[in-house]
Amino acid sequence: MLEIINLKTQFPSPDGLVNAVDSADLQIEDNERLGLIGETGCGKTVLGMSIIRLLPPSTRIHGQIIYKGRDLLNLKEEEMRLLRGKEISMILQNPTTSLNPVLKIGDQIAEVIQLHKDCNRKEAKTKAVEILAAAMIPEAPKRADQYPHELSGGMKERVMIVMGLASQPSFVIADEPTKGLDSGTKAEIIRLIRDMTSGRSMLMITHDLAAAGEICDRIAVMYAGELLEMASAKTILHDPQHPYTQGFINSLPSRGLLPISGSSPSLIDPPHGCRFHPRCPWAMDICRREHPQIIKLEKGHFSRCFLCA
Amino acid sequence: MASLILLAIYIGIAAFGPCLAPYASSEIAGSPLEEPGRLHLLGTNDLGQDIFSNLLCGARATLVLGFLGALLSVLTALTFGTISAYYGGRTDEIISRIVDIMMTLPGFPLLIVLVVFLPSSIFIMAAIMGLLGGLQGIRIIRSQVLSISRAEYIYGTRALGASDHYIMSRHILPGILPLAAVTFINAAQRFMLMGVGLGFLGLGDPNVVDWGQMISRAYSNGGFALGLWWWLLPPGLAVVLLSMTLALIGYGLEEEIEPRLKNINNSKWFTNGYARNN
Repeated sequence: MLEIINLKTQFPSPDGLVNAVDSADLQIEDNERLGLIGETGCGKTVLGMSIIRLLPPSTRIHGQIIYKGRDLLNLKEEEMRLLRGKEISMILQNPTTSLNPVLKIGDQIAEVIQLHKDCNRKEAKTKAVEILAAAMIPEAPKRADQYPHELSGGMKERVMIVMGLASQPSFVIADEPTKGLDSGTKAEIIRLIRDMTSGRSMLMITHDLAAAGEICDRIAVMYAGELLEMASAKTILHDPQHPYTQGFINSLPSRGLLPISGSSPSLIDPPHGCRFHPRCPWAMDICRREHPQIIKLEKGHFSRCFLCA
Repeated sequence: MASLILLAIYIGIAAFGPCLAPYASSEIAGSPLEEPGRLHLLGTNDLGQDIFSNLLCGARATLVLGFLGALLSVLTALTFGTISAYYGGRTDEIISRIVDIMMTLPGFPLLIVLVVFLPSSIFIMAAIMGLLGGLQGIRIIRSQVLSISRAEYIYGTRALGASDHYIMSRHILPGILPLAAVTFINAAQRFMLMGVGLGFLGLGDPNVVDWGQMISRAYSNGGFALGLWWWLLPPGLAVVLLSMTLALIGYGLEEEIEPRLKNINNSKWFTNGYARNN
């Protein structure tokens, strides 16, 4: 379905080139949901944006992103626009700022339908109410007639999800869909995403490992612009091999909130050798000298660590 | 609210003034310099024309000039301001620099020069005013569009496959309409005063009566020196009242858009217009 080959996304900045995504390789199969996990600022959102090609004009993107046999990075802007929303859609983070405050909910959803389907405004609005109702939003017709500020956070998140999926895309990028929700609402949103994306491919960008574990088939872990470990969701949660993934899981509230010492490295001048070595409890000599390659441990389990070699 | 009613009266006069007026504007209706009386409500001027009729007829030229000019200037500002801010980069650079250069030219003198050379008609005057006056508007609109077009929902709409044109008309335009309305009212006020000023300088359309001409005539033909108040005051007061009406509507609208302003200026002078009675 989607294959990312040696993707590099760089931003020029006054202090030098920021390597937000560095040599990423990733495949997402048909009907597969992949979770992309990492700390804030590790480049996971930029990876998502690179796929849909919505980055500032100064961004440099190298590599290939093959979607259904076409390299997205070679498409003209107009061809790309026609793919956006219809084939590849997005569920944005921050529902509060990602909905237009001056347009009604129903109109904003209808707009997506109208952009991609051949129908008039009235049909699109009826359809919008239908899918709102399908997303378990109570009193859907009333909600459709309200403005974003009249809705609660969880409700707005649902609207974002509905909007992202309204055009029936075959591939969805969900950026932090569970951010800033209380645990009860979060459980409902997780269920909603799981139900609504079944039968589609999805890249779910999140730092919520528990949510990713419930929704995704596979999980990829990203650190300082690089992919460090990739395996089935079950393996990542229960048998992680990379020290960073282990540290990440130990920092979950359910595992005792043990933080990884140190802070994320700069993406302009990442540490020499293994990027995680300054924070790694098992760091060896070789980790400081050489940059580890990603290696296959067993079927479907990859890790970038000398310990695993 | 009061100012809205006043404006409605003004617009009514502008529309129907010539029908309501007891005499035609150029008709010599009585003897020269008659004092106000039953036959001539506000007296007559040095040619014996009825001042009340002239006042009613003059409203049209002033209002048409102001509103047409304001409409053109807002359209100019919306078009170029939006394009400039939305596309950014070189387009923005070029438009902004042109605006910078044009804004160093003093507006009113430039207007005078242009009006002298071009055929004098209120439509041409409105067009010139609109284009020149729109320049400041471009900056105002541009700054607002800049903040809106960086908002995440614009980004989101693009992620869902909307085209630039669609985003501009459906998402950015509704966001700047309130600001455009205030710009419109303020521009209308400025242009009406400018029009009166041009009329006073004798640069208006000679075929149409306007208030500036009336003041000018009263001033230069001795109305001021001889103390003939009914000749000089009515057009002057009409201008002042109109200008104040528009200013109050402008303030009221600004407060509606930015409710924080209501708490900043509690002075009655500013709030007794549109906003307080709402």
